Amino acid sequence: MRLYRKEGNTVQILALPTENVEKGEYLLIEDPATRRSLITQVIDVQFANVPGILEELLRNSTTNDLVHEESFDPLGVISHVAYIQDSRLLVCKIRGTMEDGKLRVTASWLPSRSQSTIKKLPTTSLLTLAKISADLPIQLGETRELSQFNIDAQTLDGRLNIVTGKKETGKSHLSKLLVMGLIDHGAMVVVLDLNGEYTHLGFSSNGEKNEHFSKIQALTPGDNLKMTLPQMKLRVMLDILIHALHLPGTSAREFRRIWRFLQEQGTLTLHELGETIKNWKCNTHVRDALFSRYYSLLNSRFFTDNPADANGLEENFRKIRNGGALVINLHDISLVDRQVAVEYVLGKLVEMLTQWKIKAVFLFAEEAHLYLRETYWDDIVTRMRHFGVFTTFVTNQPNTIRENIYRQADNVFLFNFTNEHDLEVVSRAAKVDAETVKSVARDLPPRHCLVLGRAVKDFPVVVRVKALDVQAMGHTRLFFTEKN
Amino acid sequence: MLIEQLHYATTPKYNFPQSLEDLQLPQRFIEFSLRSMKKINGEYFQPNEITPYEPAKESTENITLAFPHHNSCTLRSVPLKPLLDDTTVVAVDVSSIKVGETETGVLCALRGAVVWREKRRYRCLRIGPFPFHITEENKREIYGMLRQFCFKGSGETNTPSLINMQNRMCNLLERWLQMGISCSLHRSVILWDGSLTAGTIDSPVNVVSQLLKVARNRLNTVLAFSKITRLRLSGHRLTDLSGKCSPPYLLKFNDFPAHTSGTMCLLGNIFVAKLTKGSCSFRLDIDREISWEHGLEAVQRLLGNDMFLQSYPETLRLAHIFSTFTANEVIGIQRFIAQKCGLKMVTRPNVRRLLFGLFGKGSED
Repeated sequence: MRLYRKEGNTVQILALPTENVEKGEYLLIEDPATRRSLITQVIDVQFANVPGILEELLRNSTTNDLVHEESFDPLGVISHVAYIQDSRLLVCKIRGTMEDGKLRVTASWLPSRSQSTIKKLPTTSLLTLAKISADLPIQLGETRELSQFNIDAQTLDGRLNIVTGKKETGKSHLSKLLVMGLIDHGAMVVVLDLNGEYTHLGFSSNGEKNEHFSKIQALTPGDNLKMTLPQMKLRVMLDILIHALHLPGTSAREFRRIWRFLQEQGTLTLHELGETIKNWKCNTHVRDALFSRYYSLLNSRFFTDNPADANGLEENFRKIRNGGALVINLHDISLVDRQVAVEYVLGKLVEMLTQWKIKAVFLFAEEAHLYLRETYWDDIVTRMRHFGVFTTFVTNQPNTIRENIYRQADNVFLFNFTNEHDLEVVSRAAKVDAETVKSVARDLPPRHCLVLGRAVKDFPVVVRVKALDVQAMGHTRLFFTEKN
Repeated sequence: MLIEQLHYATTPKYNFPQSLEDLQLPQRFIEFSLRSMKKINGEYFQPNEITPYEPAKESTENITLAFPHHNSCTLRSVPLKPLLDDTTVVAVDVSSIKVGETETGVLCALRGAVVWREKRRYRCLRIGPFPFHITEENKREIYGMLRQFCFKGSGETNTPSLINMQNRMCNLLERWLQMGISCSLHRSVILWDGSLTAGTIDSPVNVVSQLLKVARNRLNTVLAFSKITRLRLSGHRLTDLSGKCSPPYLLKFNDFPAHTSGTMCLLGNIFVAKLTKGSCSFRLDIDREISWEHGLEAVQRLLGNDMFLQSYPETLRLAHIFSTFTANEVIGIQRFIAQKCGLKMVTRPNVRRLLFGLFGKGSED
């Protein structure tokens, strides 16, 4: 390999066909004179534009059915010509400089074109050089060189993460790995599980209970996630009514009065709430509005008057205080009920965190745009993070996450995208240049992920995500199952 | 992001011929090629950066042909009718290119291509490339041997200068291949690139006459197409003249001289061939020793059994295309030589560029 050109932080390297280098790999350009090395990452592999190649290809294209060509090349010169034809141009991004055994992120120097030697830098060596260690390891999979790749759970702590990629590339798989890795280190995790994929994390693929069984609490709103009204704070209830059920302001004020009235009376039950609304002296329209929301709450089966049936979030957090996950199963429930449940969960989380009932929680939100109200996005990445809610968004529609979220993301786990528009959106992530995202993500094979951000100290690494022995839920229901 | 395209031009034109399997030429060429490169181990090698137009094959047209003014010469248009039969049409072309210099000499490569049309299908045989290292020491030996094989006792001649060796070798190779084809084909139309003018060092009259004779004896007809001619009639370039009928036709010159002033000898009758509609027409030489009717029939058989682009036979066009070196091939050959002979590549500064900067264009030679 020879250093060919440098423009900005892009380096072009000429490679011969036998020098097999792939996108995402790291190369070390060593300049013996200055005793420094440039760390670069291949973001694209192109054919070198060898002079005369067009003539060559055009000429060879004539040898088809009409022209049959034979060659007498006893000296084997043509093989050398073919070798030149297949030479490659590696487009690389500069990631840092090695000097005196120390790694620096700056690269304000230029290595010698004639004297430099170029060799592959295995990911393990890169991780060692960059001192990317994992005190609390979460094994994600393996690198190109088939060495184990771990990230440190601490790099997710207090951070905003995004897992994104097109359908069926392995996003949920990776987020399950993250969830289980965090649990192993004693973290508390809440999963907003849109497709019911995480509910069986406690079971192996053969259906047997695994070591995480006791740490996974699958909660289905209206089923085993119910609460009595006194367990709810008025503020949380108002959030539900206003944001999930779109109760107008005037009606909300009446509801607040009714709630306080019932609290003072000591009769804050679902039944009494209905009765009070019916008899409350107020505008008919307000009463109707309150009634319609009341019935929505009633139909959600999310509330109960029987304390024995109640199973709120707080009680479940107690069960996982040494590490575990509360999986809020949002599968098969209506949009309104889903929003009610999410409002409750987030409201309750903030409440518990502000009261220091829990230390911090890792929130995994799959396709959050389907249930998260607009105002929550900023709240999650700013205010709620300070309370101790560390969110990981998982989505296959990157444009549903706002640009400011990408900019503030600390870690991005990027799977394959082929759509230019999607790539454009993801490339706004501040942790890496847009070219790397667009070029590498476009060609990532399934179950391969580009890790960006703090977890890899801003050295993008391609990882083959490891297999997970858990019962896979969330399979798409197929019509032709039997035939398949 | 693309690598800047270097300005490697393809070699201009050259032909090789080769006939089919029984040609002895390749083996000889391999021997010459390997022998020439035996002694260059470890030398410094300056790859050729730019290949400007270099006439690798010395055309008899380029050697000044003093054509007399002949005002009495008249023109006649002869319309042509394609004769469709299964006549084999064969064309040969050769190319050579300078690939670099060593401390002691010049590195060049030769290649030939033979294209023939059989049963409405083209077949092509590419021979080579054969790299050569020509030095002052070995040029006499190489040239002598090639000449001996090609011209077989046509007499001693001075060895050309190092600069001209490439072209001379290319011409010798071409003659050699033409002979091979003439010997191995029967009742075919053989297309040469150039003319049937003889009388130069590389085209001795006796050699070209012998080539034509061998072809005639096997009932082959040699037709030579010149892309460029300097011959003029009444001040007009021959190929600018047009006939009175629609193509395909030949322009026949009545009372055309058989000999030119000087040593040059016209071994063919000269025509202007306009074989398809379009702007191009070519000088066509037909073996002078065959009858007018036979020559005319050969052209008509060519018309019936080959395809044409702008009046030019496809077999000849393909032969040129397949023999021509591309810049990519030059790099491949340079790599082959450097690896095989352990040459150390050096880049000598371009004096023109050093002196004249952007204005220092052209070859250093």
